[in-house]
Amino acid sequence: MLEATIEILIKTIIILGLPLGSLPIIIHVERRGAAFMQKRLGPNRVGPFGLLQPLADVAKFMFKEEVQPAHVRPFFYTAAPMIALVVALLPLACIPIAGPIEAFGRTIYPEVFRSEMGIFFAFAVSALGSYGILLAGWASNNKYSMLGALRACAQMVSYELSLSTSLVAMVFLYGTNDIHAMVAEQTGYWFGFLPRWGFFLQPVAAMLFLVGIFAESNRLPFDLAEGESEIVAGYHLEYSSMKFALFFMAEYIHMIALSALFIIMFFGGYSLLPGMDLIVDQAPSLLVVLQATSLIIKVAFMIWFFVWVRWTLPRFRYDQLMSLGWERLLPLGIANLIVTVLFVYFRNQ
Amino acid sequence: MAMDILLTLLTVVFALMVVFSKKTVVAAFSLLMTLLSLAMIYFQLGTVFLSAVQVLINAGAVAILFVFVMMLINLEEFSNNRERNKVKLVISTFTMLVVLGVLALVINNNIETLSIVNLSDSSMTALFDKLFNSYFLPFEMATVLLLASIVACIVITGHEKHGKEELKEQDKMGVE
Repeated sequence: MLEATIEILIKTIIILGLPLGSLPIIIHVERRGAAFMQKRLGPNRVGPFGLLQPLADVAKFMFKEEVQPAHVRPFFYTAAPMIALVVALLPLACIPIAGPIEAFGRTIYPEVFRSEMGIFFAFAVSALGSYGILLAGWASNNKYSMLGALRACAQMVSYELSLSTSLVAMVFLYGTNDIHAMVAEQTGYWFGFLPRWGFFLQPVAAMLFLVGIFAESNRLPFDLAEGESEIVAGYHLEYSSMKFALFFMAEYIHMIALSALFIIMFFGGYSLLPGMDLIVDQAPSLLVVLQATSLIIKVAFMIWFFVWVRWTLPRFRYDQLMSLGWERLLPLGIANLIVTVLFVYFRNQ
Repeated sequence: MAMDILLTLLTVVFALMVVFSKKTVVAAFSLLMTLLSLAMIYFQLGTVFLSAVQVLINAGAVAILFVFVMMLINLEEFSNNRERNKVKLVISTFTMLVVLGVLALVINNNIETLSIVNLSDSSMTALFDKLFNSYFLPFEMATVLLLASIVACIVITGHEKHGKEELKEQDKMGVE
């Protein structure tokens, strides 16, 4: 009993510590990346290369005066940022950072919550992400906040459909909901050089999922929830100091979790990057470390991709966003699903 | 055991809040919490699949529509002066008694065969076997019911076409 508790505690610390600890780095990359693409320098004064700037920002957030406007609905106003962050952290519980480890005479799974329904569960709880935003917008009791929240909510519900069609297609293809089995399917090479990643089997589903995670995490080109030129800052307009920071953290954590799901389904999850298996042949004990490194490198690339897109594409207009979601992506997703189901049916016969 | 009691209490308390809370948005969020506590009960029973479906569909999609609409039309102003007429009271009491009576009848008739459901993820195949073989007809009838309600929604809210024609006529009149 004690052993199991300690095991879960350690896993929880790792799974919460990694994303939360990497937030300052991600924010630094975001700001420096923005500066790089706009031909300016970005934050470079605090510490070497400006690396300590995020820490200074955290200190600022902590010690800033917290202003609570008189017209808000106090209970929900306070609850909203917490709900946003907690819900964003939930899907991380069943994302494995490495393969099963054989140690102490048993198999240890590196995810906190081991289930055969792993990917489905992660997707289901990440669908709750819109509540924090919706609640924040309503509790702020402000027209702009409300508009931002309604926009965010409608957008997330619409793009969840294209996300789920591509998810179902991949589940059909792999024939399993178990993340470890999914990764096992994607380990190895075709023709000796091409990794067996889901992306090469289902590029359409991958594209749908990619667009979907941009819309789900409210990032540009889909950041209509906080379109600053139209509705000031959207749902977090009335928030200051640490409450605002919680929304900020929730957005990045949501990004990390959805990227990890994307990597698991389409880029082999924790399966080794090409070339790493040569190292494992020499030193088999390094397998787990290399698997974790592979996953972290892949997710880091996804985060860089988010930054890249953010500073490359302009924002959509709202009707364009809706027609893209409902009239293009959803029919494409359903067509893709039908083709996949037929393919799986005839393959299994 | 303590966990089960806690979850049951949570579900019941939130369900009562749905009915009795004065503010509509609070009621909508209580509905969400009821659905989520139900999901937790499923989870406690060991059915991760059912729990995830409950979260994804009922809590993630259905409840959000309720909350969305309530926030959009801002019902708060109307909620405090609820009508307290006698006809409503009689009808609601009667409905409640009928529902309770049917429930009591069903439970009383099956009291011997009632037991704690033991589902697990491995029995998912069994679940869908039941759904698509034994209970196929009710399942399909439920889908027809849903379809009927969708059609009803379109009919009820379908004044748009009429409105457009009127607008066009107005436009013509304006042009003339």
